[in-house]
Amino acid sequence: MRARVRLMAVALLSAPAAAAAAADNPFVPVPEARFHSALPLGNEDGVTVPGFLLQRHPVTNAEYLAFVAGHPQWQKGSVPATLADADYLGHWMGPLDPGPGAAPAQPVTRVSWFAAEAYCEAESARLPTWYEWELAAAASATRRDARADPGWRQQMLDWYAHPAGDRLPAVEQGTADVYGLYDIHGLVWEWVHDFDSLLPADADPERFCGSGAQNLQQKENYPVLMRIALLGSLRAADTGHGVGFRCARDAAAKP
Amino acid sequence: MKARRMARAIALASLAVLAVCAAATLPTDSIYQLRAALTTQKGAAAGLDLYRGHPTVLSMFYGDCPSYCPMLITAVQVYEGQLDEAARARLRVLLVSFDAARDTPSRLAELARLHRADVARWTFASAREPDARRIAELLGFHYRKLPDGSFDHTQTITLVDGEGRVLASTSKLIGDQAFEAKLAASTAADRR
Repeated sequence: MRARVRLMAVALLSAPAAAAAAADNPFVPVPEARFHSALPLGNEDGVTVPGFLLQRHPVTNAEYLAFVAGHPQWQKGSVPATLADADYLGHWMGPLDPGPGAAPAQPVTRVSWFAAEAYCEAESARLPTWYEWELAAAASATRRDARADPGWRQQMLDWYAHPAGDRLPAVEQGTADVYGLYDIHGLVWEWVHDFDSLLPADADPERFCGSGAQNLQQKENYPVLMRIALLGSLRAADTGHGVGFRCARDAAAKP
Repeated sequence: MKARRMARAIALASLAVLAVCAAATLPTDSIYQLRAALTTQKGAAAGLDLYRGHPTVLSMFYGDCPSYCPMLITAVQVYEGQLDEAARARLRVLLVSFDAARDTPSRLAELARLHRADVARWTFASAREPDARRIAELLGFHYRKLPDGSFDHTQTITLVDGEGRVLASTSKLIGDQAFEAKLAASTAADRR
């Protein structure tokens, strides 16, 4: 009986909460663009990224709670070791209780790549590809490609020089970029679908700062190079304290 | 009548519960915890756990691969060729293409014929995105598509037990003695 009551509570919680989460984190269009990626090999002439949609901010604890309420296999304590390490949602109080250590509007962190993939799939979405993320990350509040702008670069360096500390800020506290996206920089690292394939197959991520980095384009693009290094060092079941995600959709797909 | 129908419903429900319990008994460190959709060389739908219950060798490839992938397939044949016939009969092999667009069932079947693979124990399959990359992550296999349509990828051959727990993996196409030892141990008669 008790189990039944709890199941009902979960059902009641999940439907409106999931709808609210989707409405609060809409998918923002990023038009097709040809741009120069920092990734080595095969794209020296630039890559064309088809138009896509990206969520306005990183997925929050409240949004993630709505997801696990409807998908018990992704609740803290229920996820197989192959799909998330032991620290999965380590700062949450319980399976359906983020608790004081994970405020509703903070980005969710300590989620594995497999979990992020499952979340986006449940939203009829997917994780962005690296190129999609990198394209979005090149924007400032006024320009789509601000990477050559010394002022923007300095802002990036300042952000990355100040670690968030123990407590992550809430999402959307800063200003939106030219697309209307928030927190691409300065809040959390974000999973991308092809996170493990950014470097050539024979590159050793542990030696990234040595010879591996020689192949990278745009060596002055520090924030992006940091991302590549971090993502390259992760395994798909890893859950990092500062690693979150947001979802993407093809531009043609109806939400 | 009504009672009988109810009894049948209850029986069916308990069967369903049993099925759920059986699935739930998969070890937490099993790669079969991943739900992934494969298409085999017979055009059949399958999961990654196609060969659950048997020690299984898994790897990934793509059909247009000029040299490495044929070598990988041959390498798996050489590794299993070292087993005696009875041990080999207990082993299964699942090779998953990450180029589902081009590796159709008929192409996979052709590849199986070309390599004279024992299709009673071997399956060539393909997986679409995002499943292909999820499988690759589990196997520690990295690939990326290059602008010319080919793929840049690492090489890993993985051995799992009947429940999908990784026993050994190797990036050596020949002569990895630790891998050979695990392969022999996992297919030995007294394991069953």
